[in-house]
Amino acid sequence: MSIKFSSDIPTDREVVLGILNNSVEALNKLYLAYFPMVLQFILNNSGDEDDAKDVYQESIIVLYNKVRSGNFELSSKLKTYIYSVSRRIWLKKLTQQSRKTNNIADFEDVLAVDDNVELHEEKDMQFDKMKVALDSLGEPCKTIIQDFYIHNHSMQEICEKFGYTNTDNAKTQKYKCLQRLKKLFFQS
Amino acid sequence: MRNEIELEAIIEDYLKGKLTAEERVAFEQLRGNDPVVDHKVVAHKVFLDSMAQYAHVVKLKEQMDAAHSQIDVAALAENLRPHPSKLVKLWRNNRSAVAIAASFILLAMVSLYSIQSNNKQAGTFEAMSKDMARLRSTQNTLIRDIKTREANNNSNNNNNNNNARFGGTGFAISGNGYIVTNYHVVRGADSVYVQNSNGSYKAKSFYSDPVNDIAILKISDKRFESLPALPYTIKRGTSGIGESVFTLGFPKDDIVLGDGYVSSRNGINGDTLAYQVAIPVNPGNSGGPLLDNSGNVVGIINGKENKTDGATFAVKSKYIMEALNAVPQDSLSRKVSYGKKSSLRGLKRNKQVQKMQDYVFMIKVYNNN
Repeated sequence: MSIKFSSDIPTDREVVLGILNNSVEALNKLYLAYFPMVLQFILNNSGDEDDAKDVYQESIIVLYNKVRSGNFELSSKLKTYIYSVSRRIWLKKLTQQSRKTNNIADFEDVLAVDDNVELHEEKDMQFDKMKVALDSLGEPCKTIIQDFYIHNHSMQEICEKFGYTNTDNAKTQKYKCLQRLKKLFFQS
Repeated sequence: MRNEIELEAIIEDYLKGKLTAEERVAFEQLRGNDPVVDHKVVAHKVFLDSMAQYAHVVKLKEQMDAAHSQIDVAALAENLRPHPSKLVKLWRNNRSAVAIAASFILLAMVSLYSIQSNNKQAGTFEAMSKDMARLRSTQNTLIRDIKTREANNNSNNNNNNNNARFGGTGFAISGNGYIVTNYHVVRGADSVYVQNSNGSYKAKSFYSDPVNDIAILKISDKRFESLPALPYTIKRGTSGIGESVFTLGFPKDDIVLGDGYVSSRNGINGDTLAYQVAIPVNPGNSGGPLLDNSGNVVGIINGKENKTDGATFAVKSKYIMEALNAVPQDSLSRKVSYGKKSSLRGLKRNKQVQKMQDYVFMIKVYNNN
């Protein structure tokens, strides 16, 4: 009755190096390796597949931030870390929904990861703020900002894509968009 | 408006580190002089950081979604979903606890088993009659001695050609020639001789009790002269652990004293018929009297455990009394008394042995076949 996790589980070192090198392949492996574990936990603690996906992705983001911040020490198995973070996040969600959080069915050892999760929550709030701000920005501003800041397109490319007659016009447009976005972002 | 756009561009370039050293110095001067510019820089920095983080998370989520799409979530979920059966659920939820419990049970069983097997005496009972046939060459002379002495004694036996197969010890329970020994000493005997310092006499089996391993012999030899009153008595009660005891026996041709103490109230494997005593005994000691310091017979040496040193067994005196009751009381003259004060009481060990040794016999058993 042992539950097989997908074929090849990357070593913890491999994953940490992969995160530092922005390796897509490492993320892929990591993601596939531990998803069933989190899925099992969520399903057995009154969640569904979508909850599992959200929680798991959040816990991986926590791991990424932690590794990137440079103060990640592998004091336990990565598996245990991910499980503990997922567990903490899910328990918080359950509490927020004021559902019972006693009698949690556990499948792995659990670490104390409250600090990590709290730090993540702050960042998550920033993320949500940005997301809300961007969404309420409207087109074409949203795309221009995304292209420039997220996809790192040059002003020249943006100018061509949106059919501005010259870069100055594009720059002016971007400036206006940015001012609005900043206003939205800082106000909220 | 134009200027503001320029300023914004410069701030951005400054934060991204795209300015040349000269421009940078100039801009930092401007920033130092103008709090409004400084504030804009700080705000823009916060914004850019948030944006970078946002971009990072968005990218990560995209990649994770790509990975997620490779997983057959439905099938996996089916597999991992809480099982309708409570038993399976219990097993899944408490797998580690169950494993720990199981190992504890296993451990408990193993230790219980080992305690149990420790309690069992591993050795087996070994009767202490001397198997002459098995004695080594050095001791063959001993057998010859026996034979020559018998020849010298001109005893009226017709078995000079026979070997003494077994030897043991016995002790008198009456002045007129009744001797107690172990049943296993005389079992299957064709003829039995008893010998003390006065001589060797023919005896015949008078009573045997295989259960308690007790036999009573009667000296049938006419040359036998009645013994004076017996110095020892038979103890009525049982002896406690730690009581000092001694025995006299014939593991060799001469009488040998063995000294020790009662080490257990029961014999091998909890046999309540016997005591366990810590006395070194050897083949030939079987049937010897076991006496306490006051000269009361507390038992008859009948064997030892073959794997443990100093674990000797002795039939309790109670069963000697039972055997004695089987003998017609009028045929026993000057018989041993029960529970009375023995004349050996208060004597030193050497005096006790001296007084006793005429009443302790070497038993020799001959088989014709």
